[in-house]
Amino acid sequence: MDGPNPPSVKSSRKLSWILSSVFLCALIMGPGPGLYLINEYAASGGTILRVPALYFWAVFWFAVEAAVIIAAYKLIWKGESE
Amino acid sequence: MNLPLPLAAIDMGFTPHIVLLLYLGMLLSFGIIGYLKSRVSEEDYYLAGRGQGVLVTALTIMATFFSSSALLGVPGLVYKDGVGFLFFVLNLPLSGAAIYLLGSRIWRIGRVRGYVTPADLITDYYGGSSLLRGLVAFVGFLYVIPYIVMQIKAGGYLAQRMFPDAENLSFFGMEYGIFDAGAIALSILTMLYVLIGGMRSVAWTDVVQGILLLSGMIVAGLATVMAMGGPSSFFIQLSELPPAALSVPGPSGAWSPWKLMTICMFTSLATMIQPGQWMRYYAAKSVDTLKKSALIFAVGLPCCFLFGVMLVGLGARALYPPSAVSGNLLPHPKIGTSGGEFDQVVVAMIQEHVPLLIGGGLGAIVVSLILVAVMAASMSTADSNLHALSAVLTRDVYDRFIRPKASEGERAWFGRGVIIVATLLALWLVSVGDRNPDFQTLSLIAQLMFVAMAFSCQLLPLAIDALFVRRGTQAGAISGITSGILVVFLFTPFANIFLTGGLENSLKELTSTLGKLFDTGFCGAFVNTTVFIVVSKFTKRPTKEHRNTFARDTEGLP
Repeated sequence: MDGPNPPSVKSSRKLSWILSSVFLCALIMGPGPGLYLINEYAASGGTILRVPALYFWAVFWFAVEAAVIIAAYKLIWKGESE
Repeated sequence: MNLPLPLAAIDMGFTPHIVLLLYLGMLLSFGIIGYLKSRVSEEDYYLAGRGQGVLVTALTIMATFFSSSALLGVPGLVYKDGVGFLFFVLNLPLSGAAIYLLGSRIWRIGRVRGYVTPADLITDYYGGSSLLRGLVAFVGFLYVIPYIVMQIKAGGYLAQRMFPDAENLSFFGMEYGIFDAGAIALSILTMLYVLIGGMRSVAWTDVVQGILLLSGMIVAGLATVMAMGGPSSFFIQLSELPPAALSVPGPSGAWSPWKLMTICMFTSLATMIQPGQWMRYYAAKSVDTLKKSALIFAVGLPCCFLFGVMLVGLGARALYPPSAVSGNLLPHPKIGTSGGEFDQVVVAMIQEHVPLLIGGGLGAIVVSLILVAVMAASMSTADSNLHALSAVLTRDVYDRFIRPKASEGERAWFGRGVIIVATLLALWLVSVGDRNPDFQTLSLIAQLMFVAMAFSCQLLPLAIDALFVRRGTQAGAISGITSGILVVFLFTPFANIFLTGGLENSLKELTSTLGKLFDTGFCGAFVNTTVFIVVSKFTKRPTKEHRNTFARDTEGLP
């Protein structure tokens, strides 16, 4: 193989589990029941960094999901064969 | 339908006509070039020779994913229900991941075995059952038709906005308003380039439409923020919204966190395995193409929503708050006049603010381009769905049940006939709904748009089993998908037709409670999966050799 060595199957599988867990956590915390943690504060007009709390919450958990996808692309998918 | 429309802040002159003509001319030329480049084969017509690169694949998947809802429905719901509905966007990264995780396996085995439709793969794994093929095709049909109808309807609304002063036209003794003219123009033109050029034309036009759409989303968001005095002032005005609009479940009470989460998990996957998207995986040039498309989709698209078009809905919420009249939520008169017009928010805001912000001449061009972007969103979904429906009905129904010995040429003509009939059927539904205020088809179809995704979701357990798990059986697959379809059907208004007495009321109560808590697709998929697992436990799996060769072909093993 000409390119860099792909990560071993075992470590790749471990990384897949970690990334999947973080992604699932983002789905639970973002649009899921995690919303209850911030909902009351958001309803009272609360802001985070001067942005309405719920909007900030959505952007933050999107950033987590996007980071997981970028990490998966760079560290796992790229090494997989055609 | 003649609605009193808010007027644009400036006289648009002939700018919309010129921009629209340029756009439509470009689409038709793509159709003709696609035809000239095509080879006479079914595979070429439906999959463009399986050679689409990253740019085309990424943009055609995005453009197919978007419908008129990207610039009409979704911002309309944000305007109606406030910040809570923003979380809908968090389904997009999962949809993006599915392009690679499901798409790469579909691509590999599709290339080896020459598949064209979703049913080709599913039925091949479960032993070639005609019943299963018919059920998979039926799920595709249930997804596709409401979507085409919605896009055509959007064409009518747009024409009303672009040419509010146009006079009625008369053909063969029938009077046609500007709504009809817009709906007819959009559907006929879309039908023409799909008929002429097949997948190649659809994909190329999707590229242009995708670029228009993404830029339209961002420009619309930026224009709203600037019109409200810049980011700081924009967010201050947002934080002063009423509590219900700043939290979940929102003013209408429809968006509980559990429902939003199940939508993000199941709607995302359902839309990525509908026939139009599934066929795009087959049409990609390589797995690498799908990897890159997945990344672009998962990261780029949510940005266009969160930092683009969603801000229009939120801005409108602050500037033109909806009001409750006799218990019903109605949009501000600047946005619309009835409960069904929340989805006009982007068009109304852009017409109102962009010309004031950047001046008359340039403003008219930008407004026209954004309106054309809305049209692009509608056409890009309608074309993909028409094309996919043609493939499904030709390969999975005509070729299997009606004329198994039909030549390739005959099948190609049947496929083109399907496109014409489906377009006319959708146009007829839109027209009847528009002319007869007592005919509730359109409102039913609006509900069916969400239900369509729920139907598509019923393919999910079978797809995941065939591609990853390989423990299910043919009997399990048939029972599972049938029960899933039935459960989703119970959530539709049509279920009441078949049920009477106490049963009808109990069912209404049950589906209403479940519908508030969870996504309908999730409810169907839950029953589907349970039945699938139980029946598979007691019936015979495909042979070990069959499962192994299938695993080898999906995973690309030697």
